[in-house]
Amino acid sequence: MRRGMVIDLKRCIGCYACQLSCKAEHGTPPGVFYARVLKKEEGQYPSVRQLFLPVLCNHCEEPPCVDACPTGASFKCEDGIVDIDPEKCVGCRACMMACPYSNRYYNDGPQHYFAQGATVYEQVRGARHQTDVVMKCNFCRDRVRAGRDPACVENCPTVARHFGDLDDPTSEVSRLIKERSGFPLHPEAGTKPSVYYLPP
Amino acid sequence: MNDVTAPTNLAPARDDAWIATSCALCYSSCSILAHRVDGTVVKIEGNPDSVVGKGRLCGKGVSGIMSHYDPNRLKVPLRRTNPKKGLDEDPGWKEISWEEALGEIATEFGRVRAEDPRKLLIQRTTTVTAGRNPLYAFGNAFGTPNYSTAGGGLHCGNGAHLISGIMHASWSVTPDFEYCNYAVYFGASKGHGAGHAATANMKLAADARARGMKLVVVDPMSNFASAKATEWVPLRVGTDGALALALCHVLVNELKIYDAPYLQAKTNAPYLIGPDKRYVRDAVTKKPLVWDAAANAARPYSEANSADMALEGDFAVDGVSCQPAFHKLKEHLRKFTPEWAEGITTVPAANIRRIAGEFGREARIGSTIMVEGVNLPYRPVAAVAFRGAQGHMNSLYNFYAIDLLNELVGASDVVGGCLGFNPACDGFPETGRPHYVPKPDADGLMITGMWMGYHYPYPVGEPRMPQNAGLQDLFTMGMTSPFLDSDDQEALWTQFELPYRPEAMLNFGANLLMSIANKESVARSLAKYKFMVSIDIFETETTRFADIVLPDCSYLQTLDSRSNFPFIFSLPGGMGEWCWPIRQPVLPPEGEQRRFQDVLLELADRIGFRADMNAAFNASLNLAPEQRLQGDRRYTWEEICDAELKTYFGAQRGLEWFKEHGLIKWPKKPEEVYWRPFVDVRVPIYWEFLVPLADKIDAITAPRGLKVPRQYYEPMPDHLPCVSHCCTTPGFDLYAFYYRDTLHTNSYTMENPWLDEAAQLDPYSYTIAINTNTGRGKGLHDGALIWVETETGRKVQGRVKLTQGIHPEGLGIGACAGHWGDGMPVAKGKGVFFNELLELDYNHVSPINLNLDLCARVKVTPVQVRQ
Amino acid sequence: MQATRAKYDQLIQDLGRDLRPQREWGEGRGIFMVIGHFVVGVASGTWLFALLFDSRAGLALAFALAGLGGIAHLAYLGRPERFWKMVVHVRTSWISRGFVGLSLFLAGALLYLVPLFVPAAPWGTGSVAAGVGHAMAIVGMLVLMGYMGFVYTASKAIPFWNSPLHPALYIVYALRGGIAALLLTVALGARSSASVGELLLLWAGVTAVVIVFFLLEIHGAMTSGNAAARRSVHDLFAGRLAIYFYVGTLALGLIVPAWLMWAGLSDPLSLSAIAALALASALGDFFMKYSIIRAGVYLPVWTRLAPQR
Repeated sequence: MRRGMVIDLKRCIGCYACQLSCKAEHGTPPGVFYARVLKKEEGQYPSVRQLFLPVLCNHCEEPPCVDACPTGASFKCEDGIVDIDPEKCVGCRACMMACPYSNRYYNDGPQHYFAQGATVYEQVRGARHQTDVVMKCNFCRDRVRAGRDPACVENCPTVARHFGDLDDPTSEVSRLIKERSGFPLHPEAGTKPSVYYLPP
Repeated sequence: MNDVTAPTNLAPARDDAWIATSCALCYSSCSILAHRVDGTVVKIEGNPDSVVGKGRLCGKGVSGIMSHYDPNRLKVPLRRTNPKKGLDEDPGWKEISWEEALGEIATEFGRVRAEDPRKLLIQRTTTVTAGRNPLYAFGNAFGTPNYSTAGGGLHCGNGAHLISGIMHASWSVTPDFEYCNYAVYFGASKGHGAGHAATANMKLAADARARGMKLVVVDPMSNFASAKATEWVPLRVGTDGALALALCHVLVNELKIYDAPYLQAKTNAPYLIGPDKRYVRDAVTKKPLVWDAAANAARPYSEANSADMALEGDFAVDGVSCQPAFHKLKEHLRKFTPEWAEGITTVPAANIRRIAGEFGREARIGSTIMVEGVNLPYRPVAAVAFRGAQGHMNSLYNFYAIDLLNELVGASDVVGGCLGFNPACDGFPETGRPHYVPKPDADGLMITGMWMGYHYPYPVGEPRMPQNAGLQDLFTMGMTSPFLDSDDQEALWTQFELPYRPEAMLNFGANLLMSIANKESVARSLAKYKFMVSIDIFETETTRFADIVLPDCSYLQTLDSRSNFPFIFSLPGGMGEWCWPIRQPVLPPEGEQRRFQDVLLELADRIGFRADMNAAFNASLNLAPEQRLQGDRRYTWEEICDAELKTYFGAQRGLEWFKEHGLIKWPKKPEEVYWRPFVDVRVPIYWEFLVPLADKIDAITAPRGLKVPRQYYEPMPDHLPCVSHCCTTPGFDLYAFYYRDTLHTNSYTMENPWLDEAAQLDPYSYTIAINTNTGRGKGLHDGALIWVETETGRKVQGRVKLTQGIHPEGLGIGACAGHWGDGMPVAKGKGVFFNELLELDYNHVSPINLNLDLCARVKVTPVQVRQ
Repeated sequence: MQATRAKYDQLIQDLGRDLRPQREWGEGRGIFMVIGHFVVGVASGTWLFALLFDSRAGLALAFALAGLGGIAHLAYLGRPERFWKMVVHVRTSWISRGFVGLSLFLAGALLYLVPLFVPAAPWGTGSVAAGVGHAMAIVGMLVLMGYMGFVYTASKAIPFWNSPLHPALYIVYALRGGIAALLLTVALGARSSASVGELLLLWAGVTAVVIVFFLLEIHGAMTSGNAAARRSVHDLFAGRLAIYFYVGTLALGLIVPAWLMWAGLSDPLSLSAIAALALASALGDFFMKYSIIRAGVYLPVWTRLAPQR
């Protein structure tokens, strides 16, 4: 089994709901984005187009971050999910230099969103996070184990995100990749990402 | 009854509950599930059981936790100690008890009510849609006609809602996403992160896109809808109407594509128009006449077969020469050639012809389709306008001209066409409530079955010497009025002899200083109030003008029996299900926060008009006889909500049932959604009623020195330029406009730190968008700090974002940003306060529907940074 | 808190850029990482030349430098208290290998050096313990020379570093640093089997190799077709790091020592001039590493998205 995601760029409208539903799910501190949306324009006026690219950890089949990690804090699960054990991370950030997708963030000291201090929500939801370690998306491992889709998938208002087993050729994600010419980011990096995109 | 403050399901031991309630980060009021663990809300998700959002939320909705838990929220009542009010005045807040606060308000309001209740203005935000009823009940019982919603016509639009009401019996319009094949948007982003039913529409629009619906977006900026469009049609700011008129001309006069049977049966196209631009009426019945081709005679519209009604031709009735309205319209359109429109809009004539052709052909006039066993007209095209197109001086004609596209091809409230949001409802099957259907007036024209604004959009009220401070009873096509805050309000009130002056304001959550126009003008008007009460969750810039501030509950702490009713507002249009969710408390109030509904009821008691308020609730909630509130009995807000729910869903489904279930839903019928063929009403493609309206208004205003500009009251649409189009001063070469950012609603969400963070990452949210070539020509680069300045010297500062995706003459700014107050520290200083560029007076307002123009002609200059 | 806030603001700004510089290594506390890498590199080179040229002072200096390097690395880590966990992933992680190499080196060098300097030590210079220490230190030294370059080569996020030449460059830097350190000990009066002239000649040779490798690396970055690598080169030569490169690396690390050496050809150099040459060379190396590390620019996430509409 290899869990993977397909993001349909034709459906995506760059609304940031993935980025924000991820914030809500994980209570990540300021400056840590397990999910993010990039925007860019292509072409010349008036033949111009806005493009949106939602990004997250690619949960690579051959994750360079795991190789680079000196302590084994970054690891790959049997179902293909790449995660970080905060107890093992020493904060050397070699993984951040190894990830060709810039989807790892260093949690640099205690941070909260309001000057007055952490809200009760941040205290409860962020309790699991450690400072001075690297953080990243884990495909909502806890939710997935409980049989739900990752928060960004379940919440996407345009239903642009699909989650499933890339090893199963009959799964929706496999089918979409095949039928709609799904592509990963930076295939030349040789990391074999588990996040695919469908063309806009 | 429940303890007012007791949240549902609060178990003493291990607390872990998912509570079905409603969002209020914007007026779409999507259904949510709030996950509460040990007294803390740890997650908000969409409620998959609900039609409103279908389990998915926008970025704002999922971020609501951070708005709720914002430590900057108000927690205690405050009283001003500094008698001076102004932008630079510190109110000198002093914390007071509720007893003190309510006592003082009751005294002041009591005095005002005794003197002249019209002196009270009730101002509310649009964000909490369900706030409307308690506030209207309070105002009606108090005896004031003065209400205002959000900001003076700037927020959404006097054109969009008025004309959606007249033409579609609804608050707004949307493409029938499920069936539409070709939609043309004019300054609208429906389905792309804003507007009514925003989240539900995002999915519907994505489905339509995946299905292959073509989307042509007419907009000066290529951002939200345009990003996903098949074609972006950039145009000069504020000229949407001119483009629409040219499209209509091509359809009717060049391609001869129009739906004659629809026009005959469902519009006033066949009504005969005399030389005085008025209907030719039957001498006896006074009904408008049509030319019955079968009888070869003029007959009242109600007596001829619609198929026999002539649409074209010169006729004479009792010696009066006349033509059908359609004939008039067709001739009227001839001057709007694509070449003419190109000069106004900059859209190439060839593109206008092509788009008109694509629209006309895809309309598939004459075709039908089966929907759930019912054979229905099928017109899979829609022309949809919203804020951008109708936020101008020419608000009315812009929207009217755009909607004519739908009317000409019969794509109005039929399968695949342009739909109003749920204009007809047969009611919940067990109770038959709520039941509403459009109905005809004496001229056969449509009166909406459901409404929620200042007055019904049609029939148009009789102008009178104003009793309303906003003058909407004189300018009766007006809705939200800028005159409540304008620079010339006193002059207008004097001119038209308003018998009183507003003295007190009850503000619920609106931040007028940011949501109308330049802050200096609004500040002057606010400072005039002798007594202002603000019920809010933050100390907004506007709240700093209040005498007493009351800390409200957030949406997670409050109760509303009708999150999405009336259905014409935020329930998704098209097929699917009817859905009635409620909002219920998930958390108790913090500090001394109190729900505004309780506060209003308490004030009614203290001032002594509870009986009137009960009566007002009976009327506005349309309570069933057995549920009506009695005499001056004191009902809790829970009891009132309970009465409403039982009215609509039966005695067994009161508040307790809804608290447990969160919502109720039942399937929509094709006859409800595509009601047009089943309801005998007509809509006006020729607005004959404007002619006498102008006479009547002029009869009042002309003797007092204000001549009605007749060109705004002609029965057929025209292109009338904005003030900004008439500016010829050298150097002022850009049209500044605002747009709605997908991350923000009004100005409230700017304080949400997650949304603020995302907006900081977004290239556009907080910047000033200028066309790359234009900008480079001015020596600007990304990130350059510039002044944007109007001819009158109003100016704002911000950082440039050069983009290919904006008209070379455009300058786009995300709306409602640029807070300056300390009460919302996250929002403070973020983005650009666009409204500062807008003048606020009669000259910048549509003289027919009082819509304040949203664009301004500006020049930009680099800010000189001192080293 | 203040620093965290500033870093946050910087990150928010950076995330909006197409070509975003890495700031974790080299900025703020990240400077310790650069210092650590630099010092450990010099230590390994010094150990090598001290062995070759029989310099006790050089050996001691190498050990001290390696110890300092270890401390600098710890000062950089987010969670220094967990440093020992870095031994775990030696199979794939170059950092882990470096950690093991440094540990081996420090332990081995200690075993080797104690009897050399403390005659009363429980084991002698010819003892098995000293021999094992000698071997461990050599293995550690080799690892330290090599691993750093591979840490960068393995950094797929930073195309500028992600070149096969990087390890070679780091090895020659270690050698250059070693010669400089030895020169310094000589200048300070320490004994060595190599003459100043020999060392200077060696320095010149290694420096030439460094220049060739560096130019090859720059050429590679410029022709790689990668915008991020090109931006790095731009930042290095004409952007935010040019000052460090020109003043630190070029002037201090090359021109000053080369001029001193050229002067030394006609007139024997004073000891202080030799010390100055050595220090300038070493500082130049530091700035070279510093500016190369800071010139790292992340691979842009955007790729060309498949055909339009």
